[in-house]
Amino acid sequence: MAYSDKVIEHYNHPRNVGSLDKADPNVGTGLVGAPECGDVMKLQMKVNPQTRVIEEAKFKTFGCGSAIASSSLATEWVKGKTVEEALAIKNTDIVRELALPPVKIHCSVLAEDAIKAALGDWKKKQGEADLKPAETASAHN
Amino acid sequence: MSVIRSQDAQTEGIPVTSCWNCRAAVTGAHFCAACGKVQPLPAGASYFAFFGLPQKLTIEPASLEGQFHMLSWKLHPDNFVRASEFERNLSLERSSQLNDAYRTLREPVARVEYLLEHLGVRKEGTTKQQAPPELLEEVFELNESLDELREARAAGGDVAALQGRLEAAQQNFQEDLDDVDAELAGLGREWDAAVDFGGDESTKKALLARMNEVLNRRAYIRNLVAGVQKELGG
Repeated sequence: MAYSDKVIEHYNHPRNVGSLDKADPNVGTGLVGAPECGDVMKLQMKVNPQTRVIEEAKFKTFGCGSAIASSSLATEWVKGKTVEEALAIKNTDIVRELALPPVKIHCSVLAEDAIKAALGDWKKKQGEADLKPAETASAHN
Repeated sequence: MSVIRSQDAQTEGIPVTSCWNCRAAVTGAHFCAACGKVQPLPAGASYFAFFGLPQKLTIEPASLEGQFHMLSWKLHPDNFVRASEFERNLSLERSSQLNDAYRTLREPVARVEYLLEHLGVRKEGTTKQQAPPELLEEVFELNESLDELREARAAGGDVAALQGRLEAAQQNFQEDLDDVDAELAGLGREWDAAVDFGGDESTKKALLARMNEVLNRRAYIRNLVAGVQKELGG
């Protein structure tokens, strides 16, 4: 199977690798995994509580090229968006952008789940109603 | 039109067809019992049925190997050099299926994976697998420490100390892997008992789901073991 140029570009030059302070009340952390392939992905976002704008996003993914590219792209996309805009990102958007083949669609699902889990964690820290990642996970295309 | 299906445990679910040569009834057998001609592969037949085995997880390696050699010999394309092209193709098809079936069933883990796939419990990319958060935390941390070791080593850190930490990590992961394999084997025995004593569907379903969970955990640990091995070998 050949990776698309965009996947290779993100894999070779991943954006926003690293971590944010988990204890910061403005930082939401999402840790998700795809057990079929043993991938694990951590996505963190720092959100301004007044404007609800995502000011910072970091990720660390242990997995295949597509999983790394999906999470790298996700951090690029969420930066500068509001929480609500970021929650509207669908895995199919990632599939389209990275031209992921069908066997790698689960990597994009993982990235979408990670965004939802991280923002769910942030909302919880802010005292908003908890958003359960399992219930918000999208259909699998 | 209703399709008659065999009720026999070994050939359960395989449609009863008639021999292409003499029209006698055949149920997934390699050769027609009446005229001895090699038969096409039936749709939906499992690797278990290929060896005439029930869908159970305890398989005696020696008897499987014996069956494999006997069938390899019987189905070998060399036996069909003077047969029709149709029969030569059947022998090729069956021989190649025989190799796949043997390679899969002889490995205990591959056997479980295959059973779950065959029964539609595990299908990559379509069923969403959930991992418990504690497992994800643990796996993430282990991956991170492996990463740290890798970086320190690349930067020329204290190789002897790193080596020691890597070896300790390898031992831990290997023990985890052994535990998981033991758990999988135990579930396999429960599954076999359920098959033998006609366990109800909900019991079987629960067992399949648990085996699937254990396989998921195993995938993480296997990746970690492979990661450490790569570091130690390099």
